[in-house]
Amino acid sequence: MSMADGKSPDYDQESKSGDTTVKVICLGDSAVGKSKLVERFLMDNYQPQQLSTYALTLFRYHTKLNEDNVCVDFWDTAGQERFSNMHPSYYHQAHACILVFDVSRKVTYKNLPMWLKELRDYRPEIPCLCAANKIDVDYKITQKSFNFAKKQGMPFYFVSASDGTNVVKLFRDAINAAVSYKNNSTDYMDEVMRELETFNSMGLTDSGFDTPDGAENKSITDGPSIS
Amino acid sequence: MDEKGDVTLQKCGVRFKPPTLVIVYAHNDTGKLRKRSMPVRLLKQESKVSQVAEELCQHPKHGMYLKKIPLWQLEKMLCLMQNKLKGLSLDESLEATTQEYSINANEDLNKLDDEALEKKKTVMSESFEKNRKKPGDLDYVYDIEVDFNSVNASGQSEWDSD
Ligand SMILES: Nc1nc2c(ncn2[C@@H]2O[C@H](COP(=O)(O)OP(=O)(O)O)[C@@H](O)[C@H]2O)c(=O)[nH]1
Ligand SMILES: [Mg+2]
Repeated sequence: MSMADGKSPDYDQESKSGDTTVKVICLGDSAVGKSKLVERFLMDNYQPQQLSTYALTLFRYHTKLNEDNVCVDFWDTAGQERFSNMHPSYYHQAHACILVFDVSRKVTYKNLPMWLKELRDYRPEIPCLCAANKIDVDYKITQKSFNFAKKQGMPFYFVSASDGTNVVKLFRDAINAAVSYKNNSTDYMDEVMRELETFNSMGLTDSGFDTPDGAENKSITDGPSIS
Repeated sequence: MDEKGDVTLQKCGVRFKPPTLVIVYAHNDTGKLRKRSMPVRLLKQESKVSQVAEELCQHPKHGMYLKKIPLWQLEKMLCLMQNKLKGLSLDESLEATTQEYSINANEDLNKLDDEALEKKKTVMSESFEKNRKKPGDLDYVYDIEVDFNSVNASGQSEWDSD
């Protein structure tokens, strides 16, 4: 698979200005709110670019991370999730993924393993963050815990693209994770492990994390083996 | 608000011959009820209901009333009229449109075509717009963070147990 059609940026190349350029993708069922989340984070602060070849849109966003200029491309689908699989170019060179489900629709939660599997087929190692969207529909849902993210060692966020809750945090964390991944540092995984430690110390249901040698724990430290 | 004062919608419905939208509303200041009938001439068998709904909402006389109906409900009524033009029975038509314009937590929307998915999104956008906080609102904050982990006490989601 090649993206050398002059249309998509090459994310392995340094940009002309020397800024770090990363690619962040959103994944999940139709209508979970992927596009609305990206819109809410960016507000009007972006330059949309259409990749007509694959009917994908990317939104370029400039920011600073510890004094360094970072250029982030958020990729959004034009509905390919409807065929329950994305064009390989969507995953190509991605540095981080936001995996979204809709807290008002069970099926979207049940489909998460399928999306994660597809992601891991293309990008076995990239950091993945899990977002539970539409909490504004019923805030009571935030009193529940959802096992999937914890089991996969993913950071988890309750968000609302509608009222904005935790959207900026989610995207900032995703950008951080993407840049850390690109710079080949292990910080991101350390961060995840720290998150899990805090979960533990809060005495929530642990489902395997209290056994340091447990299979789940392994798959977290050895990122690539997650499948 | 218009110069006649604001109104609150009470009921809406359709008449088939000729295709007409009917709404009942109350004047907020006097409480008086009014009925308004709006013929829908632009609706054809092959029209896209979302487009027709949009045009109706721009209508100089009726627009301000129609905008008070949740968009999905307006579209659903137009679908009922359109199905009538296509010769469907009312029962068939009600069943089909109710399915199209409702959200079922177990229905896989990945399998729908563009137009059907659009309908579902129109239903969803009602709560999106209602709960929305946007620039210009007094309580809008760009970076709003809430830590739910410390409060999520009522246990595991049932979705994990099957
Ligand atoms: N109440 C509510 N509705 C939302 C939220 N995010 C998205 N929606 C609605 O869900 C529907 C699908 O959103 P969209 O961004 O198009 O989903 P996508 O297919 O995953 O890109 C739209 O009708 C939105 O109005 C949210 O946080 N709260
Ligand atoms: Mg979308």
